[in-house]
Formats: sequence, structure tokens, C-alpha cells
Amino acid sequence: MSNRIVVDPITRIEGHLRIEADIQDGKVVDAYSSGTMVRLIERILQGRDPRDAWAFVGRVCGVCTTVHSLASCRSVEDALNIVIPPNAEIVRNLMFCAQYMHDHVVHFYHLHALDWVDVVNALQADPKATSELAQSISNWPKSSTGYFSDLQKRIKGFVESGQLGIFTNGYWGHPAYKLPPEVNLIGLAHYLEALEWQKEMVKVHAIFGGKNPHPNYLVGGMACSIGLDDVSAINAERLSYVGRLFEEGKRFVEQVYIPDLLAIASFYKDWGAIGGGLGNYLVYGDLPTNGYNDPSSFLIPSGAILNKDISQVYDVDLREDAQVQEFVSRSWYEYADGDNAGLHPWKGETKLNYTGPKPPYEHLNVEEKYSYLKTPRWKGNAMEVGPLARMLVGYARGREDFKEVVDGALAKLDVPVTALFSTLGRTAARGLETQLIANWAMDFYEQLLTNIRNGDTRMADTSKFNPERWETSAQGVGHTEAPRGALAHWCVIKDQKLENYQLVVPTTWNASPRDPEGKMSAYESSLMDNTPIADPEQPLEILRTVHSFDPCMACAVHLYDEEGKQVNRVKVL
Amino acid sequence: MQTTTQYPNLLILGIGNLLMGDEGVGVHLAQRLAEQPFPPGVDVLDGGTGGFHLMDYFTSYPCVLLIDATLDGRPAGAIRLLEPRFSSEFPRSMSTHDIGLRDLLEGLQVMGQMPKVYLFAVSVAELQEMHIGLSPEVEAVMPELENRVKALAEELVGMKVSAPA
Repeated sequence: MSNRIVVDPITRIEGHLRIEADIQDGKVVDAYSSGTMVRLIERILQGRDPRDAWAFVGRVCGVCTTVHSLASCRSVEDALNIVIPPNAEIVRNLMFCAQYMHDHVVHFYHLHALDWVDVVNALQADPKATSELAQSISNWPKSSTGYFSDLQKRIKGFVESGQLGIFTNGYWGHPAYKLPPEVNLIGLAHYLEALEWQKEMVKVHAIFGGKNPHPNYLVGGMACSIGLDDVSAINAERLSYVGRLFEEGKRFVEQVYIPDLLAIASFYKDWGAIGGGLGNYLVYGDLPTNGYNDPSSFLIPSGAILNKDISQVYDVDLREDAQVQEFVSRSWYEYADGDNAGLHPWKGETKLNYTGPKPPYEHLNVEEKYSYLKTPRWKGNAMEVGPLARMLVGYARGREDFKEVVDGALAKLDVPVTALFSTLGRTAARGLETQLIANWAMDFYEQLLTNIRNGDTRMADTSKFNPERWETSAQGVGHTEAPRGALAHWCVIKDQKLENYQLVVPTTWNASPRDPEGKMSAYESSLMDNTPIADPEQPLEILRTVHSFDPCMACAVHLYDEEGKQVNRVKVL
Repeated sequence: MQTTTQYPNLLILGIGNLLMGDEGVGVHLAQRLAEQPFPPGVDVLDGGTGGFHLMDYFTSYPCVLLIDATLDGRPAGAIRLLEPRFSSEFPRSMSTHDIGLRDLLEGLQVMGQMPKVYLFAVSVAELQEMHIGLSPEVEAVMPELENRVKALAEELVGMKVSAPA
């Protein structure tokens, strides 16, 4: 006999995700991941001017406000054979880096840390011991006894007022929380500091993209212009401000995020053997240093790993018909040629066919279709995408910078390399990746300054902007690595309009339902991998693993929220 | 509603998802207001699906007029003016970025930097096909919404907002 738990929605994510899991003898024995809101952006884009697509797709989500616009521009540029100037590539890279630094820090502290840090228990901490501990792991200046003592008093007020969800809605006191009160207090202090910090980091987008949220992109380059003495352009003052933002961002990552990550991880080493799942990893690659058309120049290399075998990395080709395919056998869509077919996105179809129960319902019929997410596969394999995939592919490709941060963290935590294939590995990889990105951002910044000093201020190639210079029909694919994982947009242009447009987004790879062969995708598979459930009424462990992927349903499905209240039901089957 | 406090400056912030029909009502209003002249001290922002990205705007103004869609079971086009002080007092199921916005509001409160917020909540129907543009029900209340937002802004900054053309 097993219990069926329903967690709907999973909180502290963007968008709406439902997990149903069967629990037996304190372990997850079956799991179903469902996107219960519909996604039809593809239909909005059909018939539109391809040069405008970036602005529509940039509106999809409030978290990754840049990545869809970037993938869209690249997709259209690919179709029209446009090569953007080096400065535009660098500006895109700098915005990419700022997005990662912002997003990963916000994810760690504001969306994921509370799965590991018991904020109410932080009230038990001794401020003096907290100060000593903080100073032993980092040079970060805000670490005095007085600082932690004042903070504790403020937090006590919030906890007693009962007004704040973060202090009232958690599973506080759950036996799976293992941190000493002092580590909890450090985590809470940095939760608050990161709130202040993140306000600054996103200003990079406003400077280069003209506004934030939803900064401006441009097919052919970037919409900003460079003029060191021009008040309305990217001038000397704005450039120096960008430099300061990246320097301060890097300091926060090195002195706060990474020390906290390692300190917290050292109490949860058992999670290095939980939540691994598929063992297949997919990366499209990004951060070109010699143009987007030269993948060998990417700082984040592309590749695929199968069955945790890091001795071999497979090449990935997004144009080949049999590599990336989407299935709908368990999704609320239908294909013209039958629902067991797999379609390459250039031939993708988006026709809804909801066959699920009428809301409100108790359970989904998981034996049939049960999600609005399609199910993507790479050469038929279910793949995990995201920071762990990127760190593993970089590591497996023998890149020294990747090896240095990964081996350093493994040594500090004293865990084997196999611990990477886990919930803990996923969360750690996100931090280590941020460390690499923060360093690379400084290099891109210097490169941009050098180019400008050498007199190169080109920011866009507009020679093919006029549709009269386009072929009658063209198709393109643009890829990037969103913070949550591999992202690509496929477009088909006919008579100067978009005839088809398909997005395959990271959360679709990870959160999708089963495929026609019954193979699970990453969320389901990772929940099945050794996940303990201490208390079915408080399934904290499910949240840990699902949050370790950094779910962002907003672009995977589009939304509709009934009551916004969390359903957390337990039923004996 | 009685308002006595005046503010030196304020932000009119429309949020929502432009791709989701009526859920984009806040953004539609912000885009209309952005084309109109306002006196110094009043800024208009299309906040889109901003979430955490909007925090700096909330902490830079002592007063924010927020316009957003809400799924509260009232008829489509119903307008309510609320003065939420805590994140828990914001109506449930505000538009698509509900969760990001809630986290943002909680953050502001913990930081002790929550500005005075006036929220114009516009009710939308429950099921929305994904499209751009407003339903007739919500389109019909846009002039009223626009006038109410401008009148409140005028009252709060203590100066005349330009009359609509």
C-alpha cells in the first residue's frame, strides 16, 4: 500500500507546477510532474514579422527576461544569414552574465535556501558564535556580533507578527533540517543582503538594453550605441558603472554565495546520493568568444553525456531531424500524424487537446495524458539540462577552468565525483557556475573597452534588415543556455512572415511527462532516485529535489491560476 | 476614499503579461499613460512580468500606484482600489507572475522598504486563451481605470495632472 501525495502548486517558483508522488515505506516509489497551465506562444507568433519576435517572447517570463529574446534574435539571424558585430556579441554576453549572476543568487537565497535553512531556528543562534563562524569562512565585512544580534531582534519581530509567508508557511522544525542555529542565522542574514544586492546587478540590463524588465534586443546586433562622450549612448560613465556592478557582483559571489553554499552543503552530504535521476545531460553551449557561428569558441561548451559516463561527450546538432524531437503521447496536444510521433521543432505542431479531468479535481489520470508540457527527447533519450549538465560537460571536455572549481569544491566537501549526480550536485553546480561566469564577465568587459579604445563602435549589422533582401523561405535555429538550461527557438520564415515558431525550453526538458516508451523525464526520474520522505504531510524532500532544478514554468506553460493556494493532499491508495 | 498624505513623487506601475489577454491590463494601461504628459514627480513604468527585477523601482519611490489583473471571481472588468500594507493583504492570484511578485513583496517587507502602495485590481475572467489585446468587458472599463489612476496620482502629488487630450 502506498500514499499518493499531491503538491500543487510547488511554491517559490515562477509559474505553476504540480507533482503527484506515491510514497511507500518512507520513500518515493512513483512520481508524476505536470504543467497544468496551457502554453500557446507559438500561435501568437505565427504570421508576425520575424524581426519583432524577440519582443513578444521576452514577455513570456519575469525571471529570464533576456534569454528568450536572445534565442529569438539568434534564430532569425540564423535563418537570414546575419553575422552580428563583435561588440554586439560582447554586449549580449555581458547581459547573459548579469542574468546568470542575478538569477542564480536569487534562486539560491530566495527560492531554494529555505529548503535547507530553517529560518525560525535561526532565532536560537548565539550571535557571537555566528560571528566567529562567519569570519572563519569568509572575509565578508558584515559579520560582527552586533550585526547578527540586531538582525535576530528584527526577525523575532517578524516571526511574532505572523504577517510574513516566509516565516509562517515553511516546514520549520522539520527533522530533515540539519543546520546548527548559527548557520541558519548566516543563511538568513544573506537572504536579506542578497535582496539588496540583486537590485544592483540587474541594472546592467537597463544600461545595455535601454530598460528593465524586458530589455531591448535587435535582430542583427544590439539596440544600444556606443559614444564615450555621448550623453544618450553607452558612454564612459555608464561603462565604468557597468564595471563596478560586475566587480561588486563578483565579490558577493566569492565572499557570500560560495562560502555559504559550501558551509550549508557540508551538513547535507547525504543529499549527494539522493535525487540524481536520469544521468543523461544535454548542453547547447553559449558565451561565444569568436562569434556565435564558431561553437569551438564557446566558454560554455556544448555536448551530451549519457548514463553518467563522463569519459565520452557526444556532439549535438539542433538541425538534424532525428536529434531533438518533441512527443505528445502524454501531453494535452494532438499531432496530425498520430500522438506517438516525434517531431523535430521545424516541423512542430501546437494543437491543444485537453483530455484531463474537469477542475477542480483530486488526481490527474496519470495513465493517460497528464500535462501541458510536451516531451522533448535527444536521439530518443530523456535528458537533464541546466547548471549540472553544463558543469559536467565542461568537466568532461577537460576544460581546466571547470575542473579547477569542481575539483576544489569536491575536495573541500570531501565527497567523491559521483556526488555530482544528485540534488546536492545540482545545487552546488549552480554556485560553481556562477563563480566561473563572474570571472568571465570581467574578461568580456575588458574586451569591450579594448575594442572601443581601438575605434570599433559597431553594434549592429543592418544590411539584411530590409525584408526585400530575404529569401522567399528560410528556416533558422537559435540557441542559448538559459540559467535553467538549454534553450532553443526554431523559426520558419515564408514570404517575410513567421510561418512556424517553436520554443523548446529548459523546464520542458526537465519537467515533462513520460514519452511513448514510458521513459520518465528529469523531475520524475530524480524524485524516484532514493528520495526519503520523513513526513508525507510535509514533503520537504520533494521540494528540495524539484527546486534544485530551478523550475520556471512561466515559459514551459502559460498560466492560469485558480486560487493560488497550495494543495498538499495525502491519500491512501 | 480619504487620502491626506501627499508624496513628492510617485510611480504608476502597470504589471502583467501582455501575451495573456486581459492579464496584461496593467501593461496596456501603462503603455497608454506613457504616451501622455505628466508633471515632474510622476513616472510611468510598464513593469511587464517583472518579479524581482522590479524591486529597485519599489524602493526608489515613497508611493507606488500598482495596476494589475486579478482572478478573484468578480465579473470581468470590476475595478477595486486596495491599500495593502503587507504581502499577505494583496489579493490572491494576481496575474501570471503571481509568485514572483509575492516573493518580491515579502522581500520589501523584510527589508523594511515597502512603499505606500495603492493597488488597482482589475478582475479578469478565469480562462484566458493566449492572445494579445483586451476583451470587450475589460476594454470597456479602460477609460474609467485611466481616469481613476490619474485622479489619484493628481491627488497624491498635490498637483494637476494634464487633462486627457
